[in-house]
This record gives sequence, C-alpha cells and structure tokens, in this order.
Amino acid sequence: MNQINKQEMIKNKFTGIVKKYAMFFVLIGLMIIFTMIAPSFLTLLNLKNLIIQNSHVIIVAVGLSFVMMSGSLDLSVGYQISAVGVLTALLMTTKGFSPIAAMLCGILLGMLFGFINGTVAVILKIDALVVTIATTTVFQGVSYLISKGSAYSNFPESFRLITKSAFLGINTDVWLAIISVLIASIVYNFTYYGRFVKAMGGNPEATRLAGINTHFMRISTFVISGMFIAIAAFILISKQGTTNSTVGPGTEMTGMTAAILGGISFNSGEGKMWGLVVGVFILAIIENGMQLAGWNQYIQYIVKGVVLLAAIGFDKYQRAVKTKKSKKNVVVAA
Amino acid sequence: MNCLKLLHFLNKQTTKEVVLWQPLDRKEGTIQLKKKVLSLNNISKTYPGVLALDNFPIEFYAGEVHALLGENGAGKSTLIKIIAGAITPDPGGKISFEDGKVYSQLTPQIAKEYGVEVIYQEFNLIGCLTVAENICFGERYGAKVNYKRMREKATEAFKLFDIDIDPNAPVYTLPSSKQQIVEISKAISRNVRILIMDEPSAPLSVSEVEKMFKVIEKLKQQGTAIIYISHRMEEIFQISDKVTIMRDGKYITTLETAGTNRKVLVHHMIGRELKESFPVREGRRQEVLLKAEGVCGNGDNNISFEVNRGEILGLAGLVGAGRTELIRLIYGADKMESGNIYIYGKKVKINSPAAAIKYGIGLIPEDRKQQGCLMGRSVKTNISLSCLKKISRFGIINKREENRITDYYIEKLRIKTPSTEQIVGNLSGGNQQKVVLGKTLAAECKIIIFDEPTRGIDVGAKQEIYRIISELAQQGNGIIMITSEMEELIGMSDRILVLYEGKIKGELKKEEFSQSRILELASGL
Repeated sequence: MNQINKQEMIKNKFTGIVKKYAMFFVLIGLMIIFTMIAPSFLTLLNLKNLIIQNSHVIIVAVGLSFVMMSGSLDLSVGYQISAVGVLTALLMTTKGFSPIAAMLCGILLGMLFGFINGTVAVILKIDALVVTIATTTVFQGVSYLISKGSAYSNFPESFRLITKSAFLGINTDVWLAIISVLIASIVYNFTYYGRFVKAMGGNPEATRLAGINTHFMRISTFVISGMFIAIAAFILISKQGTTNSTVGPGTEMTGMTAAILGGISFNSGEGKMWGLVVGVFILAIIENGMQLAGWNQYIQYIVKGVVLLAAIGFDKYQRAVKTKKSKKNVVVAA
Repeated sequence: MNCLKLLHFLNKQTTKEVVLWQPLDRKEGTIQLKKKVLSLNNISKTYPGVLALDNFPIEFYAGEVHALLGENGAGKSTLIKIIAGAITPDPGGKISFEDGKVYSQLTPQIAKEYGVEVIYQEFNLIGCLTVAENICFGERYGAKVNYKRMREKATEAFKLFDIDIDPNAPVYTLPSSKQQIVEISKAISRNVRILIMDEPSAPLSVSEVEKMFKVIEKLKQQGTAIIYISHRMEEIFQISDKVTIMRDGKYITTLETAGTNRKVLVHHMIGRELKESFPVREGRRQEVLLKAEGVCGNGDNNISFEVNRGEILGLAGLVGAGRTELIRLIYGADKMESGNIYIYGKKVKINSPAAAIKYGIGLIPEDRKQQGCLMGRSVKTNISLSCLKKISRFGIINKREENRITDYYIEKLRIKTPSTEQIVGNLSGGNQQKVVLGKTLAAECKIIIFDEPTRGIDVGAKQEIYRIISELAQQGNGIIMITSEMEELIGMSDRILVLYEGKIKGELKKEEFSQSRILELASGL
C-alpha cells in the first residue's frame, strides 16, 4: 500500500513537472528537431543572432504582460512603436536633439499612449481591448502626422550604440531585455503592485472590494506597458538603422502570441516571466529553423498558429483536470 | 376591490358550469370541481449540503390562481424551476399532467408541450430585438420572417393590458415596467395552460398591477392554471384562490385564500422553534461607531441608522428589500445619491471600497466566489491582499510579516487548510468564508459588515462563524449583519432593522424580537 502510494507520488510529481515546464520541453524539442533537419541551426552564430533579433520582442512582451496579467489586452502596441520610433528619429535627425533627449521624449509619448488607453477604458467603463482597437487607428494617424510619410535614417552613432555596443560579450540591447525581464520578475514576485495586478486579473470585482483602486491599477498597467514599448521601439529602429511609420505594426501580435505561449493568460492573472521568454524563443525558432531548413517561408505562419492553438488547448485541458481533481478532494474532505 | 370580488364570484360560477360534466374528483372528502392540470408528488431536490425541497406534494387546477408563500430559501424558486424543466429533481418523484402521463423529471421541451410558461424574476427578453420579435421568439411561420404577423400578434397581446407599446421598439429602450408587460404578453400569447409568475408585480406601478390582475382574471376564465409567487401579501389576498405555504423546502399546508387571514399565514410561515444555540455576549456600549443619515441610491430611499460599539445590528428583509444594496452604498461599492456617513461622529466621504477600508469599514460580501475570494489563489495571497500596502517598504512586500499575518489569522479563525499555499477554491465553503473574513480583519476594520455570512456553509462551520462574529462584537467592533435565516437573525442580533422595498419599515429591540413581528414588517404590514 505504502509502496504504491510512494510510486504514485513520484509519478504525480513527474507529471507535475512535465506540465509546469511543458513549453520549455517544447522549446528543447523544437531545437532538437531543427538541429537534425538543418545542421547550421545549432551554431553559436545562429543562436546569437536569434537572441539579438528578438531582444525587442521580449521587451514588448514584458510590457504587454502587465496589461495581460491585469486581465486586458492591448492591440495598439504596433502603432505605439511606430509613432515612438518616428518621433525619436525625427527629433534626432532633423531637430538636432541629443539621442538622450529624443529618447526621453519617446518614452513620454509611449507613456502618454498608455495613459490614453487606460483612462479612456476607465472613464467610458468599456473593455480596454475595445478601446485599443479604436486607438490603434488614432496612433496610426499620430505616427503618420509626425513622419509625414517620410523615412528617417542616418541616426547619430551614439544612438546606434544601443545595438552595436556590447558588455561582457553580450549586446547592450540584450542586456536591456534581460534587465526588463528581471525588473518585471521582481515587480510580480516581491512588490504589492505586482500582487495587485495579478489579483485584478484573477477577479477584478473582489480586488476592488478588497479596497484596491482598480481604476488607478488599470491606467498604470497601460502606462508601464507604454514605457517598455518605447524602449523596444528604440532598439528596433537602432537595429534597423532606419525607420518610417510602417515599422512596428505586427509586433503586437508576435508579443501577444509569445506571452500566451509562455502561459500568461489574460483572464486569470497567472504567468511567469521565464515562460514569456520561452514563448518568444519558440516563435523565433520556428521561423529561423524553417528558413534554415529551406522550407517555404509562408508555412511558418501556419505552424506558429497551430502551435499557439495547441498551447492554449493544453492549458485549458490541464485546468479542467485540475478543477475536477480539486472537486474530488473537497468531497473527500467533507 | 368590490368589482374584483364580483369577478371572482362570477368566475367561480362560470367555471362550475363549464366543468360540471367532468367526472368528480374525490379527495379527502371534498369535491373538487375544477380539472387537475398538474400534480407533483414526492418531489425532492438536494444541493450539496442543502435539501431545497423535501418530498414535496402539490396540485394545480385549471382556472385557479395558486399562490406560493414562504420565507427566503423556502424552496419556491426550486419548485417552479422543476415545473419548468429548468432543473431536474432527485429521482423518485412523480410529476403527472392532465392527460395522465407521469414523468419523474421534465425538460424545457416537455414543459412547453404542456403549455407551461414561466415569468421569472429576472427578465428573459433579448434586449436588442424588438418587442414583436421577442413576443414571437421561437415561433415559425415558414421560411420567411413575417413581421406583419408578429406586429399584429404583439399589438393584440397589449390590447389585453390596455397599454400602448410600440411593437417595433427594441426591448432595451423600454422602462422595466413595460419590459415586464412584454414578458407577460410573451407568455400568454402562446398556448399557455400553466402560467408561473415569480414576483411579477415587483417592477410594475400600482395601476399596471391592476391591469395585470385583469389579465390574470381573463386567463382564469380561459381555464389557465396560474402559480403566483409574491412577497406582497395584499396581492395574494387580492388575486389568489388558494395559497400553499412552504418552509425550509417542506410542504406545510394549502389553504383557501378566502377563508384565511394574514396572521394565520405568517404563523404557518414561521411555525418553528429556535433550536440552534448562539453565544451569549455582553459589552454593548452606548458609543456610536457608525451613523448613516438619509442614505439614498441603489433603490434605497432615505435610510438612517446607527451602529454602536460592541453591537450586532441585524438587517432583515425579503429578497429585493434593498439590504445588500444598502451596505454596498455604505461600503462605497456603489454610488450613493445622497446622504451622509459619520464615523465616531465625524462626517466622512466614502466613494470607493478603498476609502471605506481607510475609515475602518470592512465587508464580507454575499457572493464568495465572485466578490469575496480570489478562488484560484493561495490562502496567503487572499488574506494578505488588503494589508499588503501596509507591510511593504518601498513597494517591496515584507514576506516575513506577510507569513506572520497569514499564520495569525489561520490560527485565530481556525481555518482548516493544509498550508498557507493551498488554493482557496479547493477549501470547503466555511473555510473560504473564514479566508474572506481574515482578509477583512487583516485590514484592521472596526465596523464589519456581513452579508449572508453562513450561506452554503455546513452546520459546524456555522457555529464557528457565530463564535467569531460574537467575539468581534465583544472586542468593541460594530457589526452589521444581513441574514435571511430567522434563527440566526434573532439569535445573533442586538437590534434588528427591517427593510421593505428600499425603506426602513421598523426597528426592533432585543426584547421585542419575535419571528412573527419581523416577518410582518418584512412583508410590509
């Protein structure tokens, strides 16, 4: 009897680990598959490129995670990046601002965008998701008004150092991504602010009745998201060396997909930062690996979508099993 | 009133004529002249921990208005939902119809076939569709939508009420009284044989209620059986022929309305001895902790009261009397239209739950799952939620302090949980309630509002909750307690306020407590 129990416990523990780190195993599995198909996949250069290419996506996903953990979504991220990018570029190249001053203006613009999204949602008492559908178009207009449709390049060398310099052998932009993930982890795990964000995602009404100012929380999550998005925009345009108003849109979907893959669900206030990073790299590896394998590049979109659905389905199934089990437990206890 | 009595009389005469040729149904020596359309036998319904209906028998006759009467939780809603096929009763019961068929449970389809129509308390209309579309919802006249016929049908239905409602107006644009009339019209425009009305008069004005009664009279003449639920006792005397009294899911008695009076009905509704024991307590002080003055909003009108230190103030009233609405105003969860709140004699402005907690008001809400707990989170996260800000420095939570507080309340409230990390959703109802209580106490509240603190909790845990509430009062906190359980109300309260339709109907001191007095006030007598 005892023996069986022990075995069962070990088995439960094992399946628990598999479930908890499922996405991590998927990542490893994908790496193994692509290494076998394309030998050039598992080279130091390729992996380094993979990380550098996705530094800004990680920061976008970190910013988005604040909005998603609090139980909402932001679809306007793409044009936020676009507008912040062209404003910063314009100020640096034609208005003679120093890169630092230009970036400060960019960050303020990003935070303003977030403030608008959050405040409108709070004042009109509508779902922030719906608000951001509308503000996507508004921010698009803002972006084109700033750029007047033209492209900017010839950024100051000091600005390009964001992506060109390295510290301890790691690129500055990758450092920024690492720091963002660390800061977000600290906020979620050690501060009351992070706890409130998660509580709100779990049950906004109970959170409000517990005496937490959910209006302030809603607005602030969007403002924080706007700040991270502005930083991501700097990295993106610095990497490319040029920008115009079409740079940015599309990133919101990649960021959201990665976040969902990583287990950040937008109606339960759950998720871990490492999951988010894993999510970003699963998407990146699918894209990169299929290119190296020489497959039709358009298939990658289908594969990404299917992987996302599979991840959500797995999560849902797991939750259903969990609640069934816990119900059983309650009956036994009663 | 005279006119109505005449109608009653005429109606009885005509139905007698109509049914005379039918075989007489002999039952307990009396001769039933009306045709039995539905009878229920041995109907039980168990919910986890609660027996909502207990071997319930009831019979309904054509052309008769049969009122159901009972306190909150007596099982009225469960009964009508079983008849409508919305919920399935426990196996073993019998539901027989006029054609002799017997079912052990119904589905909505079977109920529809026998012409059962229900007007629920909450509207069942589709707001974005027009009045006519709602009334004809689910009917088919071939492939094409026949708007003209739908409009005609709607207009015809409203003629009964002598009321003018535009059949083309979307339902959400109508005031709630008109929506209710649409709801009733929808039910009666079908081939209705058994019409169930659950508090149909609540959203209606006096004149509209009169019109509804005329429609009911007409339906009676057509031989429809009507099941009428209302907490307004005068209506029951005005419209019903029979009244069945239920209590705690049990059948008590069925009386001819004409041969009874309010006192008798109230007596039957209570009819129980207080059996649970409640902690004895002293230390009530004449020191006003909270004072509400002329509070309006949320359907409540000009409510004033005081809570003293060490006192438990009971709020009584039937469902819809505005008790929960009142405390939500005081807690800042809903917006107060006018009125003042004083704490320790100082006027304060409470416009959010955050402000309420700042002034030391805590709420244990009615709906644990939706408003009380974060069901998917740990015991620790739940308990510390309301005090996290206080135990943080520079935004960083002092985890040692958090653990200490959590352990303290787990021990003090005797929360049965394997660990502080246990997910609250996996605990039993009583322990979940204690977690919510722990959360409120951790915010160091002095005035604690309990909204149905023992709903869905087993007996042992109930006693624990009573003990905790008593202790809190003894320590000099002020307690406001809403409860629909009479024993609990009388056993725990020092003073009882009775609400009726958004107003204070009366205040009772400890020595004046009696079940009949409370129920009379709550019924608006």
